[in-house]
Amino acid sequence: MSDYDVIVVGAGPAGLSAASCLAEMGLDVLCLDEQPKVGGQIYRNIQDAPEDRRKMLGEDYGNGAKIAKRFVNSKAAYKDNALVWQVEPIGHVCYSHLGQSKQVKANYVIAATGAMERPMPIPGWTLPGVMGAGAANNLYKEAGLTPEGLVVLAGSGPLLLLEAVLLIKKGVKISAILEITPVLPSPKAFPQAPKALMRTDFLWKGLSMIREIKKAGVPYYKGVSKVKALGLEKLENVSAESATGKKLSIDADLLLLHFGVIPNTHIFRQIGCAMAWNDEQRYWFPEIDLWGRTSCEHIFAVGDGAKVSGAIAARYNGEMAALEVARCSGIISEYERDLFAEPLLKAISHDHWPRPFVDKLYAPRPDQFIFTDDTVICRCENITVKDIQKMVQEGVSDLNEMKCITRAGMGPCQGRMCGPAMAEVIAWQTKTSPDEAGLMNIRPPIKPIPLGEVAKMELASDGAPGKNWLLDKK
Amino acid sequence: MFKFDELTKNDKIEIILDGHAVLLPSGMSIAAALLGEGKIISRISPTSKKPCSPHCLMGVCFECMMEIDGVQRQACMTEVKPGMKINRHLEKENHHE
Repeated sequence: MSDYDVIVVGAGPAGLSAASCLAEMGLDVLCLDEQPKVGGQIYRNIQDAPEDRRKMLGEDYGNGAKIAKRFVNSKAAYKDNALVWQVEPIGHVCYSHLGQSKQVKANYVIAATGAMERPMPIPGWTLPGVMGAGAANNLYKEAGLTPEGLVVLAGSGPLLLLEAVLLIKKGVKISAILEITPVLPSPKAFPQAPKALMRTDFLWKGLSMIREIKKAGVPYYKGVSKVKALGLEKLENVSAESATGKKLSIDADLLLLHFGVIPNTHIFRQIGCAMAWNDEQRYWFPEIDLWGRTSCEHIFAVGDGAKVSGAIAARYNGEMAALEVARCSGIISEYERDLFAEPLLKAISHDHWPRPFVDKLYAPRPDQFIFTDDTVICRCENITVKDIQKMVQEGVSDLNEMKCITRAGMGPCQGRMCGPAMAEVIAWQTKTSPDEAGLMNIRPPIKPIPLGEVAKMELASDGAPGKNWLLDKK
Repeated sequence: MFKFDELTKNDKIEIILDGHAVLLPSGMSIAAALLGEGKIISRISPTSKKPCSPHCLMGVCFECMMEIDGVQRQACMTEVKPGMKINRHLEKENHHE
């Protein structure tokens, strides 16, 4: 017996839409959200953000209100502050809620774990005062916080410029924007341009961002390299090299980094879903079919956690998975599923038009990763580029082996921050592709929880023994 | 490093931070509340022994791990509640090898 028909992990656009759609069809749904409020990252705090904040964040944020409202009306069960720390391929989920762990069972799990900013180690990135650009964005949505003092933005991608424009609108004086994207766009992007141009709304957004930055008179350097954060106990200065080879030195209190986003895949790797490598965007993602089904029959992956496609696509992909789960649960027929999916597929395709162009324009290049000896790769265990390099020279080229020897990836973040970067260091040293270093094995609990919590936890009545190394020890 | 918008008027609540009573704005994560109050150091890294500050604010980097009511938790994923006891253990001598 299952407690629920479906458990949805995550309450961003993909998770909320999947859960709403299923609940509307009459299925028993539980949505587990690790945050205190629905919205995920993009729509963080959407239900409670004051009017002025909503206005400042614009339509792209405001759209989340409808999604959140639909979810509330759908009567899907919602658990906030629920840290999922283990998912089994058969649909059993363990989560921790305010100090108590529980196991719940469902026939299907739809994981909408979202994306994270690509961790890109630069010298000094562990200094207090160096943060993700997305982090600053979250602080505003959640708490109405605005950076003050000397602010520098560095990295690449549309979200970096989007954050810059938001800061300008809020009256922040940005000392500099250092963009590592080459001055001349990649020739690979051109064949994709015509399709992108068909979306004039999108093009308009891009152009007006650049105009806002120009109008504000913010020093905007393109094709920058060798970005470094300098300071003793905290950030004091950012140095870099301009496209023409000029040395830049900018005093700073806050450095906001952004190097694109990658899927947050820990859950899928812990479950054992087959993973694939995106060579252009240099990230791992779970292999899925049209409906979001992973290599495990009962596990679905939707939204940016499956493939970085943005909030709009995430919403539709969430519904696609919901339709297939409803079909498998006997609620709708195959014909109905396909009928309902038709408009979704059309919308996904329309939303997708400009993406190949933007993706190619800002695709990470191997040469953008410039590693210096003392740059910290693993923040938790304080392992540097030099430590990794030394092991590569001794013949280690596999991430799991590297983890065993150096401890990189064994800290509380469990390789979330260091895994991708460590693979880049190995690839750079061995002149191969990062995927050849493999993926770090992820084991439960995927979030740190006190052992006492596991000892005291409620187990679902007929858990299948022998499949679960952690719970079988009980 | 950060300031609250003038329109942000969340009620203040009392918590115990590193043994002292402190007023923090409610309705947000501990990490956001502390950053807004200018308390940017979240912990001393147990490995590098250097001060850390929150980096991702979305539960990925674990740089904001603090002892919250006796348990190491991510401050960016934990909402401020009245009477919470938070220890950042910023005194370096507290860290034994």
